[in-house]
Amino acid sequence: MRKWMILLTVLALALGLAACEKATPTPTEAPAMTEEAPKATEAPAMTEEAPKATEEPTEAAEEGEMPDCASPDVLCVGLVTDVGEIDDKSFNQSAWEGVLKAKEELGAYVDYIETKDPKDYEANIRLFAENGFDVIVTVGFALGEATQTMAKEFPEVYFIGVDQFQAWAVDDDTGNDLPNVAGLIFHEDRAGFLAGALAGMITKTNKIAGVLGTDLVPPVKAFGTGYINGAKYVNENVEAKVIYHPGGLDVAFTDPEWGAATARQLIDQGYDVIFGAGGKTGNGALIEVAEAAKAGKEVYCIGVDTDQWYTVPEARPCLVTSAMKLITPGVFDLIKMAKEGNFPAGNYYGGVGLAPFHDFEDAIPQEVKDKLEEIRKGLEAGEIPTGWPIEE
Amino acid sequence: MAWRRHPWWYQNRSTIVGLGVLFAALVGAYVYSPQMTEAVLASTLRQSIPLVLGALCGLLGERSGVINIGIEGQMLLAAFVAFLMNVYTANLFLAVLSGIAVGALLGLLLAFLAVTLKVDQIIAGTIINIFAFGLTGYYYQVGLQTKGKLTPIAIPLLSELPLVGRVLFENPPITYATLLLIFIVHFVLFYTPWGLRTRAVGEHPRAADTLGINVYLVRYVNVVVGGMLAGLAGAFLTLEAVGTFERLMTNGRGFVALAVMIFGRWNPISAWGAAMLFGFATALQTQLQFMEIIHIPHQFIGMLPYGLTIAVLAGLRGRTRPPAAVGRPYEKE
Repeated sequence: MRKWMILLTVLALALGLAACEKATPTPTEAPAMTEEAPKATEAPAMTEEAPKATEEPTEAAEEGEMPDCASPDVLCVGLVTDVGEIDDKSFNQSAWEGVLKAKEELGAYVDYIETKDPKDYEANIRLFAENGFDVIVTVGFALGEATQTMAKEFPEVYFIGVDQFQAWAVDDDTGNDLPNVAGLIFHEDRAGFLAGALAGMITKTNKIAGVLGTDLVPPVKAFGTGYINGAKYVNENVEAKVIYHPGGLDVAFTDPEWGAATARQLIDQGYDVIFGAGGKTGNGALIEVAEAAKAGKEVYCIGVDTDQWYTVPEARPCLVTSAMKLITPGVFDLIKMAKEGNFPAGNYYGGVGLAPFHDFEDAIPQEVKDKLEEIRKGLEAGEIPTGWPIEE
Repeated sequence: MAWRRHPWWYQNRSTIVGLGVLFAALVGAYVYSPQMTEAVLASTLRQSIPLVLGALCGLLGERSGVINIGIEGQMLLAAFVAFLMNVYTANLFLAVLSGIAVGALLGLLLAFLAVTLKVDQIIAGTIINIFAFGLTGYYYQVGLQTKGKLTPIAIPLLSELPLVGRVLFENPPITYATLLLIFIVHFVLFYTPWGLRTRAVGEHPRAADTLGINVYLVRYVNVVVGGMLAGLAGAFLTLEAVGTFERLMTNGRGFVALAVMIFGRWNPISAWGAAMLFGFATALQTQLQFMEIIHIPHQFIGMLPYGLTIAVLAGLRGRTRPPAAVGRPYEKE
């Protein structure tokens, strides 16, 4: 009797879950990779002659049907996310948009795999590589090592590591650089510097702060350092501080309530510009500042990575701009270079910049905008030091 | 020599001295910087709310003999449903109720598994966690926008008080409700017949059964009511604290709540104190990082409450003993 009831309960739960599967459409039209997918028997050597053949988008790429990726005529681009979803309002999404652009403009066949567990990084990359994909985009700092390992195993596949430092990607046997890995990295310190400069100019209390993910991730720390120095560059009276999440990599970017509570603690102490940088943790901070702005406080917030005006609409009441890593064009450019056969091995710097001001377009004085443009040029030319990397 | 009963203030001397020192420290900090003290205290209270609600949930279950390891899942699914209800009906009251209802339903599931089917309780709770993680992860769509969140209500006069005024008397509704619930649960557990029955069932179900107490009913009710509290914690996260939902946004708070419960020795008011300590550690590490006074790694301050919990479990603060029958299914004869 009891056994039957346990069995029934488990069955009911399983059925419930199965029902969920049916109820929701799959996120993309891309088919799941099954045994039907052509096995990569021969490596698709992407040599100089290959691009000519791929200029015309193949029919297969137009449709959802998976084409013969092993064929040199077909450009197949796969994307492996960090732990998180393709629609994370941040990194994964921006990178995926770059891949989608390659689908539109280069006629590539594209697909993605969402990583659920850090243990699966290599397995997910391998899935694409073994199916004959030509370019594999791996998103996030944490995938750096797995990307390298896989690049050694699949020398015929081009790897684009978003936010990964790949200058030391060296072949153990020969001691040479790996010619098929490029790390798309950014001058986060410059993006942070621009955000800090804006914050330093619009603050009324001369107190600005940042709520960031963990400083265990160098790019996050670069954002924070640039932010502080940018504010000080334009306003020597400003008090600029940043707070890092105390948790490890597993929680530091998925804790919106910590971000929100921390932002509130700062607002309560008179800080009127808050820079939220750190995935969902940062988003929590932005939304909290927006609440304070709605309640009548004169506070502003600055987003990160992508234009968060679109990705976190709840933050609009306070969001003056976002310190953007231009991931989408960076990913696209690298895919294009892979296709054209002039793939840059090692690190490749993508652009950074501030997102449009949107609702605050009129509120920001012209001289502030001019100054920002001047700083942007100075940073690009390397004339303005951002204080990063920190010299010990 | 006859055993003489000490007056209450003598029995509780360490608590009273502790509270006195704490109060003096608060006043000192307030004199030093009112703005900073209020900000840190407000942050402490805010971060303690989901923890204490989760701890109350765990405590009701364990006092009646059922371990609830699924608090995290109950919170998360309740947070999600409350969020969806807010998105689609724009009615905050309904959203809070739906969160509580989901918590109750998951509590019912746990009770069914643990009490009726006598499944291993750890496994039963884990099932709930996995179920909630999977369901919310699968169904959550980015782009859903909430229709407002619960805003603070200032209580006239009281909120004007120095130091505690703005911290205690200018809060959103779930925070007020939680502060009341701590004392209600405490009263029910220790000063009513129902509470006595609950504790009896958690300590010695056979004896309670002999006296005519319906062991199954007591366990069912406590676990379901506990689930409602966990559901309220979930509603707090989406409707009052963050204002939106994110996957895995509970971020382990359901498990920390269990530590809070143990730290508070299965006593609601002590658990509140423990939750405040955990909240304070978080607020403090933010503040210290911020003021750049001490250069110790901030992860170190972040782990302070966990270290304290281990110390308590290791017997630093007297003997800590869970209810005797906890985790053991009851088989009627």
